Amino acid sequence: MDHFLKLMPFTIIIIPLLVGFVLAIFARWKKDICPYLILAGVAYAFMISILLTQRVIGGEIIHYHVGDWLPPWGIEILIDELAAMMLLLLNGCSLLILIFSIKSLHKEIPEQATGWYYTLFLLTLTAMMGMVITNDLFNLYVMVEVTGLGACGMVVAKGEKLSTEATLRYLMLATLGSGFLLFGIGFLYQVTGNLNIPYIAAELVKVREQYPFLMWATMSFITVGLGVKSALFPLHIWLPDAHSSAPSPSSAVLSGLVVKVYIVSMLRIYFLVFGFDVFHETYMRYLILLLASLAIIGGSLFAFVQLNLKRRLAYSTVAQIGYIFLGFSLGTKWGIVAALLHIIIHAFMKVCLFLAAGAIYYQTGRKKVTHFSGLGYRMPVTMAAFTVAALSMVGIPLFGGFITKYGLAMGSLEANNPYFIILIVISGLLNAAYYFPIVWQAYFTSGHNVKMELDKVPVTMLIPIVIMALGIIYMGIFPGGTLEFLERAVSRFIL
Amino acid sequence: MDISRLMLNYPFIISIILFCLGCLCILTQHNLIKKVIGINIMETGIFLFFIAAGNIEGGIAPIYDPALPQEILYINPLPSALMLTGIVVSFSVTAFALAIIVKLYQYYGTIYAPDIMRMR
Amino acid sequence: MDDYVTKIVFRYILLVILLYGFYIVLHGHLSPGGGFAGGMVIGMGLLLYFLIFGFEAKAKLRRLPIDVATILIVVGGILEGTKFLIPKEHGPVGMPGTLFSVGIISVVNFGIGLLVASTILSIFYLLVEGEF
Repeated sequence: MDHFLKLMPFTIIIIPLLVGFVLAIFARWKKDICPYLILAGVAYAFMISILLTQRVIGGEIIHYHVGDWLPPWGIEILIDELAAMMLLLLNGCSLLILIFSIKSLHKEIPEQATGWYYTLFLLTLTAMMGMVITNDLFNLYVMVEVTGLGACGMVVAKGEKLSTEATLRYLMLATLGSGFLLFGIGFLYQVTGNLNIPYIAAELVKVREQYPFLMWATMSFITVGLGVKSALFPLHIWLPDAHSSAPSPSSAVLSGLVVKVYIVSMLRIYFLVFGFDVFHETYMRYLILLLASLAIIGGSLFAFVQLNLKRRLAYSTVAQIGYIFLGFSLGTKWGIVAALLHIIIHAFMKVCLFLAAGAIYYQTGRKKVTHFSGLGYRMPVTMAAFTVAALSMVGIPLFGGFITKYGLAMGSLEANNPYFIILIVISGLLNAAYYFPIVWQAYFTSGHNVKMELDKVPVTMLIPIVIMALGIIYMGIFPGGTLEFLERAVSRFIL
Repeated sequence: MDISRLMLNYPFIISIILFCLGCLCILTQHNLIKKVIGINIMETGIFLFFIAAGNIEGGIAPIYDPALPQEILYINPLPSALMLTGIVVSFSVTAFALAIIVKLYQYYGTIYAPDIMRMR
Repeated sequence: MDDYVTKIVFRYILLVILLYGFYIVLHGHLSPGGGFAGGMVIGMGLLLYFLIFGFEAKAKLRRLPIDVATILIVVGGILEGTKFLIPKEHGPVGMPGTLFSVGIISVVNFGIGLLVASTILSIFYLLVEGEF
């Protein structure tokens, strides 16, 4: 038992990975067991992450040295508050998406690909978890690359013209991005001779004055590399195609989880490697601030003109990523807490919305937002959840989105920059402008003689949507505990 | 900055040139296979950067041998080991990209990007 | 490629290629090289076989490399679990500088070699045939 406690951070990675590769063999003759096997794997990871989070809440920071090689040389796994939060989020959302995909998947991707699809799912999930909990920069690069490949595979699994083309563009840009990231890591290694984050930080403080330009170059390389992957505004061009042409479970994973983990890694590199004061002094912060503001406005405007529901949701992701970057580049405590909170709440909202889009497609085959009239009465549960998520996107009080908007406003006041409150209000109005027509169509355009009936989708597809909607409402009404936890996480970066 | 310092660090300059060439190749070439070649050129530049960072002048391959004298210089093996991982990653990216290009060729009958954009 | 000279020459050269590949794999800890490089050589040799003699190999045989690759990944994952690549934790260690002196690392190198060879072959099949 003691041994298991020590190994716990490692098994959370290795068990889903093992399940994924065993599945690849299994899928050849027993295809119908696959979903349950993978469900067991992810459920295990979820349980372990709950246990780890409990330990972290108790005030412990968990270190694990892979293969008992000590830090300057070996790979170190570190689970602090941020990592524990991300683990819980990743595993919980993946579990729900998997429950959704058991019944819906065979309608969206070819029959012989389902087994391999689950393998890719687990590979992506594992690499995301690894990216969150690793404390070693080269390991981070490998995990980034594996996540990129797995995510590309999840998009291409649909096997259509559009998704194949979108995948190629995604793959090219993702590879370019990870090349930039690796070059940045190379600079850091060249200067400091270490790859472990605390050691780099300790060395960097000593040599920072000697290499002023190198710091700039490194920061730019890492910003561009992770910015491409997390779809910072002008680098987002791959995102709408890839996210909208993928099968709905993949869209939910990509939009809700994959783009976030890059932001978390970026945050770690900025605050733990370069240090908070360097981040605060350089102009890189203002660049990200500008790009994030552009993303919020531009993404919303682009989303406004899309008629395909999933494309509209994908552009909305671009705008919401802008919120996260805005909060994190404000560089104040409230701003970063709001950014981290928005990572959670946006994951809930986007997973809910994309799964609802998948359920709508499953029952009616409709994709255009102009064809949704009367849907509120034919699929009441799905549309109710959709409405909750849409209200939260706009930022109505009592829903999760309001809390992050409030936090961002507090952050911009704290940063002596109240203009961003205007930006947040405008973007809320824009969100309303492209989400409310869908809700309006669904409930109020069908005339009087409509019968109320229950959704005709399997129950396993409804449960995740409902749970996500309840999660949004919960975060809107009782955000206290989460905020406290996130403040503890942020207080590790900010002095 | 005098020229001799630049000459001393020539592997880094070559690696940065290779990196820029690769990026340019990915972004400007219309032929998809050439884009994949661009990826490989870019990653080769990065590998060269790391390997050059690990090199120590006059060092030998870091393999322990009791016959060698104690005070001999070994080069830093860590970047080489890291780049082995990098090569594997780049290999798998290349294989995946080629597989997608084969698929695209089946759909569109061409691997010329503007034609594909026109046909969709 | 139905060329008489290629076939005859290849019969003799394949053995040399495979021998060199295994040499690199097994001497990975004594000289530059190791599992990845040696596996690449072995894989290329086998790939040459299929290029020259055509694809008449049995369908079951074609799936074999993928199976081998998957199983090796799984076994490797288990082996990596604890005490990763520390020779003395896994078994006896001989004189430094001799062939059998690193315990588990030889086994791991051998596994990596087979894994790389079969991965190359399976990627080649998948690209050529398009279907799995």
